[in-house]
Amino acid sequence: MIATVVQTNELLDSVLASVVAGVGVTAVFAILIFAVARSSDLVRDNRPVAAAAAGGLAVVSLAVVTAAIVLGIIVMIQK
Amino acid sequence: MSNDVIIVIVVATALLFDFTNGFHDTANVVATSISTHAMPPRIAVAYAAIFNFAGAFISLAVAATVAKDVVDAGVITPTVVFAGLVGAIAWNLATWYFGLPSSSSHALIGGVVGSAFVASGADAVLGDGLVGKVLIPAVVAPVVAFIVGVIAINLVYGIVGRERPGPVNRGFRLGQVLSGGLLALAHGTNDAQKTMGVITLALIANGNLSQDADVPTWVVICAASAISLGTYFGGWRIIRTMGTRIIKMDAAQGFSAQGAGAAVILASSHYGFPLSTTQVISGGVMGAGAGKKLSAVRWGVAGNIVVAWLLTLPAAAIIGGATYGFSQLFGDGAAGPVVISLLAIAAGGFAFVRRLRVGPLPA
Repeated sequence: MIATVVQTNELLDSVLASVVAGVGVTAVFAILIFAVARSSDLVRDNRPVAAAAAGGLAVVSLAVVTAAIVLGIIVMIQK
Repeated sequence: MSNDVIIVIVVATALLFDFTNGFHDTANVVATSISTHAMPPRIAVAYAAIFNFAGAFISLAVAATVAKDVVDAGVITPTVVFAGLVGAIAWNLATWYFGLPSSSSHALIGGVVGSAFVASGADAVLGDGLVGKVLIPAVVAPVVAFIVGVIAINLVYGIVGRERPGPVNRGFRLGQVLSGGLLALAHGTNDAQKTMGVITLALIANGNLSQDADVPTWVVICAASAISLGTYFGGWRIIRTMGTRIIKMDAAQGFSAQGAGAAVILASSHYGFPLSTTQVISGGVMGAGAGKKLSAVRWGVAGNIVVAWLLTLPAAAIIGGATYGFSQLFGDGAAGPVVISLLAIAAGGFAFVRRLRVGPLPA
């Protein structure tokens, strides 16, 4: 009875999307901050290769966060 | 003529509700940004107002749910909608007075359900829609936001916990500008649509729109404007409760709470679940606090919020039902809504004058 009243699939999809987006974007943003902070420390320590690697990680993280937000808004608009 | 008077009163009352919704729920959007000093208060509310306005245009799934899935549009009259709105506004103002972040959404749905029940009996209430699209998501969404908040803040501390706090806090404050905008967008998307749904319901009931009509563009624009104006004028009492009284948060917790809230609200809006943004962001704030340290959450304040949540639907339903019953004392025409509107204006004027004499309300 409850299963027919509640749109179980839609509710589960909604929960899954919330968890993936909420946890995923927050974690990737934390990686972005970590990479930026670490990169500036490495530049100060005269370790250019490691600093560049950390910078690369920051760029990738920024791209992932931006893509996730844009994707979320596109999904909303298309509904 | 009588019907035209009622529909004008209903639309005006719905927009007033939308204003109180923005006013009441500003806290959901900006409290975390203000309490972590990510943004100055006035800038934060203006920023939220702009994103609220934009969010109202994104999707109409929630409006359709409110207009068609909760009460039987066929037996609804504009007076029923008016009484429901009065119930919602009264509950919003009462909870604002006590600084409690209760749900404007459930107040609105409760008010309309109560007045529909008194007007046409239990058959007017679509039980399946009410349970499946409102009550179950109302329970699930804050729990999901809490869990997302707990997981997210633990991951964040795991990733940046050993870094210097200065750059980390600056980074998360910058992130809060982003997540705050997304949360405001989500709030506008979910909450402005409830007013759109109610106005559409009234227009259908009055014969201005067909049963399967879409939400008119002018309704979308008016609802978006009302909620964003309400947001700009902001309910500072609830901002205080949400921003500092549940937990004392750092920038990482603020970002995690806002991220959890935005993700849950946007995902739910996509599927047409008209959930409470207040409950969701409160869940996110509690999760971000409990994830760091369970005792960091002031569970007494959290308990008050939960009690307000539980009372919202039945309290708004009782006020909505009573308002409908009172309006019927004056017959089926416009007299009832006109008398109630005049009484409400008089009560508002009395409260305003009293406040001028007594001074500011207690914090």
